Amino acid sequence: MCIYEDQIGKFDWRQTYVGRIKFSQFDTVSTARKLIVATEENVLAALHLKTGEVVWRHVFESASTGNIQLLHVSDKVVTVTGSNPYLVRGWDSTTGILLWEWSLTLQDDDRADFSEWWVHQGLLVHMLPVFNSHIEVTMYNLLTGQNRGSTSKLPAAWVNDGCVLSPPYYSCVSGNMGAQRLLSIDVTSSKVQLISQPLFDYLSLDVFEGTLKPLDGNSVLPAFIIDDKKIVIVKDNNFEALNIAEMSASVTIVEGLNGPMVLQAWTDDNQGFKLSAHSVSTGKEVSEIKCSDPALRIPEPELGAVLCTKTGNDHACRIVVNGADDAIHLMQQGGRVMWSREESLANVVAVEFVDLPVSETDAAIESEFDQKEGSIWAGSVRRLHSQYQQLQTLLASLQSDRDVVHSSTEDLVRDYFNLHKIIVLVTEVGKIIGIDNLSGEILWHHFEGALDTEAVAIFTRRTARHPPYDAYLSIVGKHQESGNGLIISLNPITGELVGERVLQVDGRVLQCALLHQPDEEKLHGLVLLYDDESVQVFPVSSEHLVDDMYLYVAEAESAKVQGYALKYNGRTAIAQKIWSLDLGSGGHRIAVSASRAAQRTHSPGRALSDRSVLYKYNNPNLVLFITEGPDPVHKDVVRAVAVDGASGAVVSGAVHRRARATPLAVHADNCIAYVYLSDKYRRVEIATMELYEGKERWGTPGAPFSSFSSARAPAAARQAYIVPAAARAPRAAALTVTERSLTDRHLLLALSNGAIMEIPWAFLDPRRAPAGGGQMGVGEEGVLPYLPELPLPAEAVLNYNRSLHRVRSLHTHPAGIESTSLVLATGLDMYYTRVAPSKTFDLLKEDFDYHLISIVLVALVVATYSTKYFASRKMLKMAWK
Amino acid sequence: MKPISFTSILVIVCVFANVSNAINSVEEDIGSGRYVIEGRVVPPEEQEQSNWQIQTRIHVNGGEYIGFIKEDGSFAIHNVPTGSYVVEVVNPDYMYDPVRVEINSKGKYRARRVNYIQTSQVIQVPYPLRMKALSRFRYFQIREQWRMTDFLFNPMVIMMILPLLLIMVLPKMMNDPETKEDLKQITNLAKMSEMPEMSEVFTNLFGGGTTTKASKAKQIKKRQ
Repeated sequence: MCIYEDQIGKFDWRQTYVGRIKFSQFDTVSTARKLIVATEENVLAALHLKTGEVVWRHVFESASTGNIQLLHVSDKVVTVTGSNPYLVRGWDSTTGILLWEWSLTLQDDDRADFSEWWVHQGLLVHMLPVFNSHIEVTMYNLLTGQNRGSTSKLPAAWVNDGCVLSPPYYSCVSGNMGAQRLLSIDVTSSKVQLISQPLFDYLSLDVFEGTLKPLDGNSVLPAFIIDDKKIVIVKDNNFEALNIAEMSASVTIVEGLNGPMVLQAWTDDNQGFKLSAHSVSTGKEVSEIKCSDPALRIPEPELGAVLCTKTGNDHACRIVVNGADDAIHLMQQGGRVMWSREESLANVVAVEFVDLPVSETDAAIESEFDQKEGSIWAGSVRRLHSQYQQLQTLLASLQSDRDVVHSSTEDLVRDYFNLHKIIVLVTEVGKIIGIDNLSGEILWHHFEGALDTEAVAIFTRRTARHPPYDAYLSIVGKHQESGNGLIISLNPITGELVGERVLQVDGRVLQCALLHQPDEEKLHGLVLLYDDESVQVFPVSSEHLVDDMYLYVAEAESAKVQGYALKYNGRTAIAQKIWSLDLGSGGHRIAVSASRAAQRTHSPGRALSDRSVLYKYNNPNLVLFITEGPDPVHKDVVRAVAVDGASGAVVSGAVHRRARATPLAVHADNCIAYVYLSDKYRRVEIATMELYEGKERWGTPGAPFSSFSSARAPAAARQAYIVPAAARAPRAAALTVTERSLTDRHLLLALSNGAIMEIPWAFLDPRRAPAGGGQMGVGEEGVLPYLPELPLPAEAVLNYNRSLHRVRSLHTHPAGIESTSLVLATGLDMYYTRVAPSKTFDLLKEDFDYHLISIVLVALVVATYSTKYFASRKMLKMAWK
Repeated sequence: MKPISFTSILVIVCVFANVSNAINSVEEDIGSGRYVIEGRVVPPEEQEQSNWQIQTRIHVNGGEYIGFIKEDGSFAIHNVPTGSYVVEVVNPDYMYDPVRVEINSKGKYRARRVNYIQTSQVIQVPYPLRMKALSRFRYFQIREQWRMTDFLFNPMVIMMILPLLLIMVLPKMMNDPETKEDLKQITNLAKMSEMPEMSEVFTNLFGGGTTTKASKAKQIKKRQ
């Protein structure tokens, strides 16, 4: 089950991410220069300045208790995390080790969300504005949390919710329309100094709203932006206004060689990424920093930390630019990108494995058989030509080094065992990324800012198996603004938009699915069911293929499930509601649903010890719903209901009292497993279920299962096991999938300690019973006696010591070789590996000794002929005697 | 004026609470029913691991609360309400036993071993916690070493050596004339079904190839 130590990194890779950058600062004190970042994902990390690799990383709680409120880097790194109570921690910037921590609880919990934090002269300043009244300012000793004096209250009746902080000044626009004043107060000074000026003095504008916006990054001067038009700097108790280059520009003020500079970055639709720098005092442009790169496309760039040093007479700057697509770039002056990190991959919401097309030579051989016309000579010429090509590739492969992993686009062809694939990932910000599964390298990406990825679905509508047609992939999501459906269709191999491209439909999508029948171009139609129960099919030409199709729609909160039958009535496809089911009685909500994975069933039954066969209940339409809700007697109750997705019949179910559901459920073949938390025993349990028709088949052998032909309920074997892990430890679950389902099935379970456990289904078998109980399954071949606790040995950890933080989901996909299943874990980190649940029975061992077997063969041949020679000599001698 | 003075009192209370926290090294109630779980992680025996502190984290209830350890291995998890928690030390290379910590409404701590099967069994462990590494995780299978005996008992090697022994050594061991006669007979018999001479093989291949092929084809036809 586990690998050898020398196989580390051979089949697997891990990529670590930090998430979208919230705060960034350069660590200039320690010898190895680093970029310290704090992210929206509640991660504090140090990135290597040259490569962008993670030097050290701390992952805080994913809930609001881990929210990072402040990052301050001096000789130590200081963070403020949480949301009342707050935790102030100090970290060593070189090693990342925790130095001190103290907790701070604000008494006024309601207004705590408006808190502002910063560090001023070695003191942690906490500011709490009370609107239309005053500002409360408290300063703490950074190391101990001891309060310097007391909370000072600055009277400020002009404070409103549109105020901005540009430390140490707190600025507002206040006053009646037409007589608005710009007010600013230094909150850290001992004597109250209010700067108040009419807004008109600084804005010679006809129309203004008076909205204030703080600068991005770590501005060295207190400044803010009014109405996206003017930068106002607070200087010597006065305001100073500067013009802004572009409405959408991100602005920060940095320390340059000749005093502070205003740095602005924006993306022009035609001219690409633009960067400009002006001196604050003189207003002159700093030419060496300026950049205009039409090739560089950073959507809505936001400036982060900027560090400028002197090299000769020029500036040498390091500029952190954060895009709306969550990618972080480190740039030099002049716009050269030193490294980029694709941080959107910390939030993957949908995954699809895509087969690669066969190589050109293979395709040529296949097309050779397709061409029926032509004379015998033309045929033989084609034959010779393709054989010549094969010979060439063989020679080429002999010449090139075998171990080198090629991943240029020409090498994106299917390998012999179909292990090489492209993984298409949809991330939460709407970035669609294609990566090579062997190397983990990003091959293409497409950013769609309008895509709302809540409940996004991804479909392979045509595989690459049908030359000359290219592979075709569709992503169905919601439009960010209208909430209507949004379809993005692309070629998963190249990332180019095809077919519908980016299409916004006129309606909210209730459910979407693929047609079972492909059209003449081998393309599966995409069926959308709208909330007004109308149906649309893409492309329209395959509308007539809608036949015998059933969809179900489940509402998570109300736990109502509705079934629809789709038909083609000669003109158009229509949907008809045929059943509805209320699983939400007693206030239940659906925690998770798991429909049966679309895969083969290898054997229709299971042989028992008495030579009879227990036939599996083989319903491909089965859907499992796990609901949780309150109960008057048992506090919380978890219900598992298996529903036929076509007919709406409840097939089987189970109830767990004093338990809470987790969103972990898997379902394949006739096997069901789901994880729940037992409140009674304060532990995690996994319940398994297998459905059987009984010892006699319901239908005729070989006939496909029909949901409508029988109303019989299958027999269910049920069992529950203890997962020896802390509550909330299981994070994701999946079952391994293989090409023909011949191989054993293993359950993969990601735990919060960073391990992915591989548990054979034999341990989870619901037919396991205590020895001597005389129950079903005892003493049968392959059925172990019941033990309540699942074994989780270290050998079962797939990712050995490459711990994964916050695994969100596990995805499995069959390889072309039966024994192997490909696994991708997504979350804050991404991990890919392959598993062979029944060992690689169809492959020679990789340490197979080719040399030994050839030496033995040669030696045997030599030995036979030499002994024969000697024998004949001996015979001759004997004859002479 | 009244509401303002009221808030100022609140603020002062808050300040006092914080000062007392700092002095009492935060063990007792912070005021809102929040407690601190404290302990120390003993570093693993083998000290070749540099900065193991970075690799090690404290998970409470599988990541509901996360603690980090200081240079000396001590840790504190702040702001935990009353309840029962499983405290785990998470390290990718070393295994630690989890501990269940119970904090009652009066702020009393009890730490005990985690037992998922007999959940009511109490085996107390000292609090503040002291977490010791049990052993190193063994993630990998161990490859078999090359040994002489393994090589000798390899079926392929046996296949080569055993016939050699039979042919070369056995006849010499049997000097008895009767068996020699028998052996001669056997070898004479074997001559009939002897392996073909190389030259014969080649002549058959090139010279009589067509005839054999034809006969083969006939055979196939017969089978059909």
